Amino acid sequence: MGSCIEAVATSCERGRVRGRGALHVTDVAATACLRRAGRRPSELDLLINAGLYKDANTAEPALATIIQEDLGANPAPRHAHGHGTFAFDVLNGGCGVLTAAQLLDTFVSHGAARTGLIVAGDVDPSPRTSRNFPFSPAGAAMLLAYTPGPTGFQAFEFRTFPEHAGMFEASVHWEPHAGWLRRGRNIVDVHEAPEFGARCVELATDVASSFLARHGLVPDDIELLITSQYPRAVATDLPSALGIPLSCVPRVAPELARSHTAGPIAALEAARDRLATARRTLFVTVGAGITVGVALYVTGVP
Amino acid sequence: MPALPWMLVESKRDAGATYGTRFESVGMALPERRLSTHELMASTRHHTRIDLERLTGIRERRVCGPGETSLSLEIAAARDCLARSRYTGADLDMVIEASITRYVDETTHRLEPPLSLSVKEAIGAHAATSFDISNACAGMLTGVFVLNDLIRRGAIRRGMVVSGERITGLGANAARSIRSILSPQLASLTLGDAGAAVIVDRAASPAGILIAGFTTLAEHSRLCLGMPALHHPGAVMFTRARKIHDVAMESGPPLLEDVLGAAGLSLGDIDWLIPHQTSVRAIKAGERVLAERSGEHPRHVAITVDELGNTASTTLFVALHKLLDQHALHGRDKVLLLSVASGLQVGVVVFEVDELEVTHGELH
Repeated sequence: MGSCIEAVATSCERGRVRGRGALHVTDVAATACLRRAGRRPSELDLLINAGLYKDANTAEPALATIIQEDLGANPAPRHAHGHGTFAFDVLNGGCGVLTAAQLLDTFVSHGAARTGLIVAGDVDPSPRTSRNFPFSPAGAAMLLAYTPGPTGFQAFEFRTFPEHAGMFEASVHWEPHAGWLRRGRNIVDVHEAPEFGARCVELATDVASSFLARHGLVPDDIELLITSQYPRAVATDLPSALGIPLSCVPRVAPELARSHTAGPIAALEAARDRLATARRTLFVTVGAGITVGVALYVTGVP
Repeated sequence: MPALPWMLVESKRDAGATYGTRFESVGMALPERRLSTHELMASTRHHTRIDLERLTGIRERRVCGPGETSLSLEIAAARDCLARSRYTGADLDMVIEASITRYVDETTHRLEPPLSLSVKEAIGAHAATSFDISNACAGMLTGVFVLNDLIRRGAIRRGMVVSGERITGLGANAARSIRSILSPQLASLTLGDAGAAVIVDRAASPAGILIAGFTTLAEHSRLCLGMPALHHPGAVMFTRARKIHDVAMESGPPLLEDVLGAAGLSLGDIDWLIPHQTSVRAIKAGERVLAERSGEHPRHVAITVDELGNTASTTLFVALHKLLDQHALHGRDKVLLLSVASGLQVGVVVFEVDELEVTHGELH
């Protein structure tokens, strides 16, 4: 009994058509995800957005509410007919999707909600002025729904290492000589230390190894490994550091290979056919902080 | 079988819950500096003829001074909250940060790492899971909704929701362009800076949180948009305030009745209604609409917007803190926290005071 992943979908920005930013790619992914699951938008009880880099760096409202409106997920109350949707954003960098999954899993597992959609998308909001924006433009969606069976998330763990917080920092700040006619502009600025990727792999390996040991598992028990896609070292080096064969790691499409908050869903998309048959899937996500998130997803496959 | 409430609801009556929950302590941080509405309106670039004080009932608001930021306010509020709590930072299982503004200095709005990471470090909550939530002025109540669920299901024992709003910069930017009462930036002039924090834990008695509910009326999601300014430091906010008010007055009361009904309560059972603080006039209008619809009144309605302005995500807990300071809450009083925020979010938490009025006075 718990929440199982019913469907996932991703979307990439193509070209630089005005307005086709984070909202567009996330809307496209969310619509595709619901279609794949055969669900109507009105079935959503919860909608959580974990994307960070939004069009115009909008801080209010939560982007999830706009996506809810775009999907047509119970946008207006109809008291005689059912149940509304609650939408909000979770901000936890590369671990945002897993944090949202933990929250949704709790609501869904115990019946407060039946169905929830997690979305994530990041697109550089101002490519002409942003500094060092490193992520592939990508949107993603993952639908979780109640299941009475054994399939679903079994455990989550998050650890932070604030002594490394300065290794990855991103902000919107005022730059007095940026922009048109050097009149000044609020710009997105990303700072990444050269050793950030290696340190992420090191910390993720420690946290995931002790997580497996605590649950009485060894690397050979893991049949599918789903990781963040940024920093790239996590996707490329973590499997061998953990002792998990590369055959257990999905090959993510090149255009999604540096996706940020959408990264774990991009990996799931590449493993769509295997998720239902893998007995144990290990999620390992990494983000600024440094934050490491780990989760175990099981199926009842004998 | 009765119809399910439209809102996503967690009630004390649910069979699935393992534990009850309660508010254990509340903290607040206000900047020292005060800015009167008269002073603010005198700073507008254009001669507006707007009597903002008469329109909103806001006499003054607190404004951050040099070195005061969203982060510093929330750390100060978190420390105030812990000073009134039986817990130390090390006892917390989770820290959720929930502000709209994310300033770590006067012009830097941080995206990563999460601000919750800095808060938990500052208060010694080293073992706590941490993340940020963004949900406009409903941010703190959303954090409470999440903690309530996790604690009730036994996933964690206790956690803190914290927020700091250095948001009066929006008013300063609005003052450059406002010409009339119809300006979409008018609501920016109502804002005030503040920090607030609250600890939610397992309830040892039958009191505590009776019901929590949230829903998003997303057909109105674009009625209020806040973002960094294009050609000035800080941010701007564009609001269709009249429309938001109309939607809240039309949709809010039936949703509230739904939630109260699910808890076996009615408005007349409520001792204190603490609504989101946008203006005195809007609060009074809401009170009137509720009374006309239900024929009942809450015994008291809390108003802090007159002296503090709209402090965004912190309003409900700043008001709760003030009521506790004034010894206005007692024993088994039932308090209704009502959030109406951009999105359009409607959130409700009803709780019985429990020990909060006792612990609030005990600074360790």
